[in-house]
Amino acid sequence: MSAEAQPGKKLLVMAADDEVVVTHEDIDRAHDRAKVQSARSGHSLRSRAWLLWLLIGPGILVMLGENDGPSMLSYAATGAKFGIGFFVPFVVLTFGMALVVQEMTVRLGAATHRGHAELIFERFGPFWGWFSMIDLGIGNFLTLITEFIAIRAGLGFFGIPPWASILLALAVLYSALLSHRYWTWERVTLAAAAFNLIFIPVAVMAHPHWGAFGHALLNWKPLPPFGKDTVLIILSDIGATVTPWMLFFQQSATVDKGLTTKDIRYGRFDTLLGAALAAAAAVGAIVATAPLFGRISAENFQAAQFAEALKPIIGRFGASLFALGMVEAGIVASITISTSSAYAFGEVTQRPHSLNLPVNQGKSFYAVLGLCAAAAAGIVLIPGLPLVFVVLIVNVVAVLAMPPALLFLFLLVNDKEIMGEVPSPRWANGLATLVVVLLTAAGVLYGVSVVAPNLFAWMGRL
Amino acid sequence: MKEQHEHASLAETSLVLSTLEHDQLVAAKKEPVPRRKLRGGALVLAWALRVYVVFMMLVVVWQAWIAVR
Repeated sequence: MSAEAQPGKKLLVMAADDEVVVTHEDIDRAHDRAKVQSARSGHSLRSRAWLLWLLIGPGILVMLGENDGPSMLSYAATGAKFGIGFFVPFVVLTFGMALVVQEMTVRLGAATHRGHAELIFERFGPFWGWFSMIDLGIGNFLTLITEFIAIRAGLGFFGIPPWASILLALAVLYSALLSHRYWTWERVTLAAAAFNLIFIPVAVMAHPHWGAFGHALLNWKPLPPFGKDTVLIILSDIGATVTPWMLFFQQSATVDKGLTTKDIRYGRFDTLLGAALAAAAAVGAIVATAPLFGRISAENFQAAQFAEALKPIIGRFGASLFALGMVEAGIVASITISTSSAYAFGEVTQRPHSLNLPVNQGKSFYAVLGLCAAAAAGIVLIPGLPLVFVVLIVNVVAVLAMPPALLFLFLLVNDKEIMGEVPSPRWANGLATLVVVLLTAAGVLYGVSVVAPNLFAWMGRL
Repeated sequence: MKEQHEHASLAETSLVLSTLEHDQLVAAKKEPVPRRKLRGGALVLAWALRVYVVFMMLVVVWQAWIAVR
């Protein structure tokens, strides 16, 4: 009888002088790695393409997953508030920042075969570990709530009642888990994530001025006025691309997929491809809502309201695509973010944590994943809660929590004791340091605008 | 070795051993990574960033509270 047929049991194997326990999770991962080994042995273009297909996944998922409900709302608000200008190249730059730090998580996961939460806890102790987990837990839960808000609002455009929207979203999330195989989960979620690109045709339907678009992309102009709103949008757009859950998710997914140091190059390409696709979708959302610039006040707009406002410009079909894009953004992110929470919980509590686990072996993993999503979904259905509060702060919270998360990433990825031959190269360290400085500066600027508005106004006059 | 024949095929066992690196095995991950103490500049930076996060979170909550009211 095979271990796959009897998943709850472990197998004792003698390997050389060591006694090794092989689990169901190992066997599933070994099947995936066997395909990679076979593809790697070929030298034809077809083998290379097949190898790439096998190894991509976590990078695209994390980047398109981060194009979530609040992120797409942030981009839509950016377009409606500032039109085509400074923010088009700025958003592309933020994805460059995300690429730099996410590449480090691939390297770390492939070299250590451990998740991010696990490494912080074991290497630096529970004191610093719990701080990181509190940041992650609060950020993930707030973000999950906003994903269900986006789903409810997006499907609300089609007249679907909130309870039905939420149930549908949870059904999709749980269906993705049914196979109990990382590979199948990854491919199903990737297929869903591909719909994020729906914002590109919506942008084309808005008939943008391509000359102005090219000018903005190259010259970063016109510049937005210096003010509180601009700082808030800057912070919100950064928080739409660089957040702590992404670090935890991509490293854990890299480990669960079974990537090794030989695969880092492909992992980097996967992340680059994800960043390029996500940046295209984000810019698409800005361009799509740019015609609303000067026509409406987009303060606290929700998905359905943007779709309604766009209807006279891009028609009922275009507005429907926009609303569907918001729904997709919420669904994919709810899958990846709840998975990130479940991975981190398993790593910290040293309980089994893998999408290759059958339910009876990964009860706590699947319970955390399912309950996080269900709790966030349930909150969205409670009438009268001031949920706009959550939408307002979620991206800002993400930016503010990033610098300490990046410090630990930086320390770990340069730790030769655990990284062996593949510590982070100097150029990547330089860029990561720049990212930390930029994020902290943006956070401080935001803090000054709130705490000392007179000082902020004086800075604007400089 | 008797358990091996009861619960898994020999082919699967050898597949695991030939495709996964030793520290990729679930059993190997039970071995903790050695502890490293934060010192000097890294410790100061970690505390400074922690204070920054706590202070800024209070600012966010305050601003959002005013916005909602």
